[in-house]
Amino acid sequence: MMTRHEVRQRADDPLDLRGLPLADPPADGWPEIEAALLERNRRGRAQRIGGGLLAVAASAVLAFSLMLGRPLPGDLPADPGTTVADTPAAAATAEPTPAPLQEPPLESLIAMSQQLEGRIRAWRASAGDLPSDVLVYQVELQDLIVQVDEALSASPDSTELWSQRVNLLLDVTRLYENSLRREYYRMASL
Amino acid sequence: MNGSPFEIELDEMTLARARRGSVAACEQIYRAYHRPAYSVAFRIAHCPETAQEIAQEAFITAFRKIRQYRGDAPFWGWLRRVVVNHAISTIRRDRRHDAVTLQDFHEPEPPRQEQLGTAMDLEAALGLLDTEDRAVVWLHDVEGYNHKEIADLFGKTESFSKTRLSRARSRLRDLLQPHRSAAGGLR
Repeated sequence: MMTRHEVRQRADDPLDLRGLPLADPPADGWPEIEAALLERNRRGRAQRIGGGLLAVAASAVLAFSLMLGRPLPGDLPADPGTTVADTPAAAATAEPTPAPLQEPPLESLIAMSQQLEGRIRAWRASAGDLPSDVLVYQVELQDLIVQVDEALSASPDSTELWSQRVNLLLDVTRLYENSLRREYYRMASL
Repeated sequence: MNGSPFEIELDEMTLARARRGSVAACEQIYRAYHRPAYSVAFRIAHCPETAQEIAQEAFITAFRKIRQYRGDAPFWGWLRRVVVNHAISTIRRDRRHDAVTLQDFHEPEPPRQEQLGTAMDLEAALGLLDTEDRAVVWLHDVEGYNHKEIADLFGKTESFSKTRLSRARSRLRDLLQPHRSAAGGLR
């Protein structure tokens, strides 16, 4: 006579698969995992140092850009014959906007991140996809941005993470900038 | 009732150290869970090399995302989900596992009399199942997943899970029947 426990177990696992022993891995996988973790830690440290420096630099650049009303570095003039200095925004330097330098770094970074996102969207809309050789880097950078966004969902006020995000977005803008510049020179040489 | 082989408790201190990035703590976690992780990957993929890759990638993913573990459920359940997700993605991405498995087991050697009715039969019979059927029967019968959880993993309906489970069990019974009868019948 089977107990209720045995009846239930037989219903859940009628073929007694749980009776199979654990399978043994063919090799110790730890050395490979350890190497991956150490590499990640090393890159994380480098990014933190770079991110910290960039946070300061990015805040300064953003503040300066806002103060002067100029586009961020990486903007190409809409017309190849026009320079940044010729733009109306540059002419407005006589009346500088009030002191964005007093903004806390986190807000500056968030603002810069939004500004860069907008710029990338605009470039993407006007210039279309990047050439395939550059696209690979763009996809990798976007993957990294997704990872940073995941981390930001847990720590939304992390200056370090926002600076990493800005850093990565700047890298993406550089890809577009270089690609547009290449195209501009190609057209100019025709 | 025996639970999942994953059901190993992890002390809070090791978990906290791992979340702070301690490689030594990660190794402790690996040592505690690598056999159940490999085992579930092997039962699903039924290929030692693939199972090893799945387990490795799953541990790296888990350690990379360990800060996302919120502690509202046992750690082993969270880790098992990472491993199973990797295993399911792998078998769905790479259907060649089926071909390898079938090739390996198409003409199994006749079991020796003393092996009849043993775990060896069950292992070989599992190897003959369709990959998704095997994953479903293992996750349901051994790991204790319900049909909804399995359906979510595969991105399918609960009917998919129920059908595959029924088909897998039926096929296993067919495969095991002659052996078990000859051995005096385990069931």
